[in-house]
Amino acid sequence: MFEIELQNISKSYGSTTVVDGLNLGFESSRFSVVLGSPVSGKSVLMRLIMGLESPDQGRILFHGRDVTNEPAGSRNFGYVPQSFALYPHYRVFDNIAYPLALAKKNKATIQEQVQALAHKLKIDQLLPKYPNQLSGGEKQRVALARGMIKDSSVFILDDPLVGLDFKLREQLFVDLREMLSEIEGSVIYTTSDPLETLALADQVFVLDDKRIIESGSIDQVYDEPQQIRSLQLLGVPAANFVSGELAGRICQTPFGPCEIEVAEEIATATPVQLGFRPEAIRLEKSAPPFLSADGRVLLQEDLGAETLLYFESASSRLVAYWSNAEPAPITGERFRFGIDPRSFHVFDPKTGTRLTRSKDCALRQNQTTHSAPAGSRSRPGMSASAALGRSSECEGDLATGTS
Amino acid sequence: MAEVQLNEVTKTFGSFHAVKDVSLQFPEHTTTCLLGPSGCGKTTLLRMLAGLETPTSGSIKIAGHDVTEWPARRRDIAMVFQYPVIYQGLSVFENIALPLRELKLSKAELKRRVEDAIALLGLERSLNADPERFDNGTRQRVSFARAVARQSSIILFDEPITNVDPESRFRLKQDLKKITEGLGQTIVYVTHDQNEAMTLADQIVLLKDGEVLQQDEPRHVYDHPKQRFGGWFLGSPGMSFLEHSFNPAEGSRLQSDLFPFPIRVSDPDAVGEKTNLRIGIRPERLRVSPMPMPDAAKGSVKRKFRGVAGQYLVAIQLTKHLIWAKVANELGKKLSETVWVKCDLDAVTIFDDREQALSCRLVRLEN
Repeated sequence: MFEIELQNISKSYGSTTVVDGLNLGFESSRFSVVLGSPVSGKSVLMRLIMGLESPDQGRILFHGRDVTNEPAGSRNFGYVPQSFALYPHYRVFDNIAYPLALAKKNKATIQEQVQALAHKLKIDQLLPKYPNQLSGGEKQRVALARGMIKDSSVFILDDPLVGLDFKLREQLFVDLREMLSEIEGSVIYTTSDPLETLALADQVFVLDDKRIIESGSIDQVYDEPQQIRSLQLLGVPAANFVSGELAGRICQTPFGPCEIEVAEEIATATPVQLGFRPEAIRLEKSAPPFLSADGRVLLQEDLGAETLLYFESASSRLVAYWSNAEPAPITGERFRFGIDPRSFHVFDPKTGTRLTRSKDCALRQNQTTHSAPAGSRSRPGMSASAALGRSSECEGDLATGTS
Repeated sequence: MAEVQLNEVTKTFGSFHAVKDVSLQFPEHTTTCLLGPSGCGKTTLLRMLAGLETPTSGSIKIAGHDVTEWPARRRDIAMVFQYPVIYQGLSVFENIALPLRELKLSKAELKRRVEDAIALLGLERSLNADPERFDNGTRQRVSFARAVARQSSIILFDEPITNVDPESRFRLKQDLKKITEGLGQTIVYVTHDQNEAMTLADQIVLLKDGEVLQQDEPRHVYDHPKQRFGGWFLGSPGMSFLEHSFNPAEGSRLQSDLFPFPIRVSDPDAVGEKTNLRIGIRPERLRVSPMPMPDAAKGSVKRKFRGVAGQYLVAIQLTKHLIWAKVANELGKKLSETVWVKCDLDAVTIFDDREQALSCRLVRLEN
């Protein structure tokens, strides 16, 4: 059973539909990340789960119990909203204690709970300070503490790092997992940032076009995205795309023909979108079955540890990852590269769904138990999921979420 | 074209010291990035250059003239802000031309400058659209064009690509490259994003708490940080640090859980007295293997996740210290529990307990 399940949820504001027939299930004790573009409706989704908004249609279940019509107070989830604000005239202690004071807890309990949480989050020394005496990172930690002070099993963090400095965000998303591992319970976290998603998620839920279009372990979605939008959204730098034509197992690409392991052979030539990640481009000389082509560097971005090469090839703009072990070609320079056809993710351009065979799905279909493949976590209860994400897609229902 | 000099510039706001006694030189035709976290003083410095703030003490010289007291409009400086400026009700052409109107150029010259800027920024196809309806990326390109058309000797950029989507960011970086490499102006660019600084700058000025920590070419700042802060701030993630107590009076030997063989400090005199040394190591300089390697330290994987281009970041617990390593996708997948970590002695930087980089190295001690 899922800890929180949303069934066929729709929500509109006037003529704007934010979510439409959305289904998803969060498992307990996981770090679940909802990944979506900045205007995909992540905050509305979180407010629906919190009970701060009511859906126009559909049910919300908490441990199987219908809570759709219960107010936020009785759901009692911890919540860190996107634009957190600390009360400037309260000390950090009182800022964190505020939700407890609101719930009319006695003084001794409040004292004890705030101290214990501050210790876990390593912010003990901040308790007597005022918000204007804190750095940006410290303020963020205090805001997180306030969201977690409630005695709850579910904590909802709505894009808590948005708008912070790059370095601060990086430090927080590295630390956040550790901070949260001290708290027992499930975390539901939203972001539009792929690096945050990769660093934090056990399970990722891709929110796009008013629905969850795909869900799975972070490795499943990164390695074998079932939806073209998932490949576009999860990965830094964003994946490359070129057009091709598929007939049977043979795919015509701008870099030459190659063989693709397809889930189902289509006899007539069909236009397809080929997606491939920057790390799939090999810059050393590569022999068949690798495809190869020439590129011209448009921009070289030295990140210190690695270089990203933005280049032009086959009248497309592509990006490759280059380890800094040897010097990268410079802007304007031509170079030869190779691509392993096995790294292509082939999609139907009309529906955006995957046509390439997924090892992962094949593996899972052959298994009687639900122990997940190497690198991903076990997924109890997946068989119970009616219409959700990857498991059902693997069973042939490729239209999920896009029809 | 002009060289810019800051001499002992300080700026306070009430009791807050935003900029503390900063002396800097921005050579002609070069791009300097002022890099640092929020509150490091980079934007205040830029605003003083622009004439939007006056230094509390110290002086600013442009092309040899002391401009400290000059108003902004006298300084021959163009500036691009974080949020693109679009003048309402004006066409793209007029948006670019507006600041040129007061320069009293001939009609032909004005037209030529605006058209050149439009061509450089590739705005030809947007000319007939209403600029108020542009996305942030295109709006910012109009702002770039306005700054370019002015043909001032100095252009200042204040985090100009922070508020745009990734696709526009790529485009704007390309445009910035054209401007910085093609036009020969003196450019000062403020950012908190080390990647932007690494990509765009001829020199980086690294700032923290209103003070200059280091001024060097980007690659040099990355490879040879002068302080621990630079080692941490540049790179994602930055250096890991291993802290070891060291007493020169007891000889030059050093024990480190990263090196399972005897090592010493090349020049113990450079360290001076008994102290804690911090060994800084960049995540990409470590070799990690699931199998034992000679001269490698044994550790255990605490966490791993993927980052840029699918590479794995792996947190490895050594006997005492937790360090981060960056490994390729295929290898990262295989790592779990016990691993071996190998590090070249010359890949580390040694810092003293005041966080300053030392000139000494680590050397293997032959038995």
